[in-house]
Amino acid sequence: MEDESSNPLRRMSSRTRKVAPKMVAALASSDNRTQAVLARLEALENDNAGTEVGDLNDDDEASLDDDDDDGYMHKKQSKSTKRKTRQAKALENARKAPRTFLELLHEANLESLPPHIPSYSRAAVGPPSSTSRRHFCTVCGFTATYTCVKCGMRFCSRRCQNIHNDTRCLKFVA
Amino acid sequence: MTGVVVLDNGGGLIKAGHGGDLDPTAVLPNCLLRPLSSKKFLHPDPLGSHSTAALDLTSAAVRRPIDRGYLINADLQRDIWAHLFTSHLRVSTPSSCLLLTEPPFTLPSIQRATDELVFEDFNFKSLYVADSASLVHLYEASTSPQGLVSKAQCSLVVDCGFSFTHAAPVFQNFTLNYGVKRIDLGGKALTNYLKELVSYRSINVMDESFLMDDVKEKLCFVSLDVDSDLQLARKPGQDNVFRCSYVLPDGVTFTKGYVKDPEAAQRYLNWTDESHSTSGGTIIDVEKPESAEDRKRIDLTKNEFDLTNERFLVPEMIFRPADLGMNQAGLAECIVRAINSCHPHFHPVLYESIILTGGSTLFPRFAERLERELRPLVPDYYQVKITTQQDPILGVWRGGSLLASSPDFEAMCVTKAEYEELGSARCRRRFLR
Repeated sequence: MEDESSNPLRRMSSRTRKVAPKMVAALASSDNRTQAVLARLEALENDNAGTEVGDLNDDDEASLDDDDDDGYMHKKQSKSTKRKTRQAKALENARKAPRTFLELLHEANLESLPPHIPSYSRAAVGPPSSTSRRHFCTVCGFTATYTCVKCGMRFCSRRCQNIHNDTRCLKFVA
Repeated sequence: MTGVVVLDNGGGLIKAGHGGDLDPTAVLPNCLLRPLSSKKFLHPDPLGSHSTAALDLTSAAVRRPIDRGYLINADLQRDIWAHLFTSHLRVSTPSSCLLLTEPPFTLPSIQRATDELVFEDFNFKSLYVADSASLVHLYEASTSPQGLVSKAQCSLVVDCGFSFTHAAPVFQNFTLNYGVKRIDLGGKALTNYLKELVSYRSINVMDESFLMDDVKEKLCFVSLDVDSDLQLARKPGQDNVFRCSYVLPDGVTFTKGYVKDPEAAQRYLNWTDESHSTSGGTIIDVEKPESAEDRKRIDLTKNEFDLTNERFLVPEMIFRPADLGMNQAGLAECIVRAINSCHPHFHPVLYESIILTGGSTLFPRFAERLERELRPLVPDYYQVKITTQQDPILGVWRGGSLLASSPDFEAMCVTKAEYEELGSARCRRRFLR
């Protein structure tokens, strides 16, 4: 589902620790605003996949295994055979489950290529030549002159500020 | 003589047909859908079909085999292709060749998965992998044999599709891969952006991808002057030429949403034309009094939402991704960078043969705006000429169809025997990518 890529912060399972490079950068920086922007950009690539994760790799069972993982670390020897098979199953599901493009990209390790070879990461157009950007009011869409001091989102007027404060301010900073 | 299946496997739409045909046999969304009424994922109907049992796509869940333009879920793609080959194309795969498009810089792991899919699951006799830019170039060169594209044998193809936007220089039917530049923005991101805006401002439509795709296609346009258009969009009532309502489906009489007043939706076109011709300043009364009363009346039985500045702020993102917080240059700068990475001898010709393709270039005035943005960035001793395709969604497929019907096509393919002998990586070198 959408949390797959948008909030890796909340994922605690050991199996899914692989996160996209962009997200690694976001996690490293303590700046919540950058994180919010990155998360939003990630969300732009989402589909509404419904509950597909649930019926794809048996989420109930997988989440049970996540709980088990901690216990497993402590008492390695005392594992019952039933638990083993369950974990094996979960591992297999994880292997079979399609990986996201960013995971594949991370795996391909394009940075190790010599610099003259064009690759996916080098084909990106790169930062714009002028750093100026226009700001649009997040509430109504018109040119925004003001910035919310709490969360950094933009608004254009007192009216929009009130709407912003009431609805989505501090959404990302928690 | 064996048939060639030409497959433009896009992130949004699959375009599939037989080599040599003018148009693809089937154009269908590259996804599986699960409408609310169903428990299983179903195959979508091809575009343009008017079957009576059309799926109600309200809040349908979508699974796509393609993420960010690249094939990541081979199992899902196998399902979709199997359905496509048996019920739409009706071909037997072991006795046909396949011409498949692939985006530039596909990762080796993805190429391997694709080859396995083609040769091991579908047993195709042979495979040719093409990139979309060279196919578009081929098609454009063939449509105007006297044009610059075919004479100079080079062009700059701007493919603004569903998953991303590429500017790719092509020379003698080969894409110069060191010149390809990419913006990570395409139709999908734009739809999601529109979804986000509408959901925050009026009605929650976060689950309605198909509905919002339709809204985007029908109502969005590219603004030529964002600042003045923003001012115009502020006006209340009838003075506001951009305001437009979209009626949501109610599930009973309408299973598809529609634009409430299509005539009013087009008003912005006349507005700017007239205001340009009258050298600005004068206010033109665009009000149409006859049915104004009808329009004002809000039908409470229908759910609808208004769009004003969203109509042009959404496609605007392709030109200025920085406004979204993306650290990427806009389309015009992307083109300039792609051209600058080629040899200087190419520059004048490339600027004069820019070809626009891909579904996201269908926004009204896209080419006009691009030219306005591009002109100041290009030295004045170069001409800038932007060619639009007649049907940008099918441009790549038509080029593929041409290539498939060329006499030496079969020699360019990799056969199944070669694949079994040499493996995926070695075979791929044949395609010079």
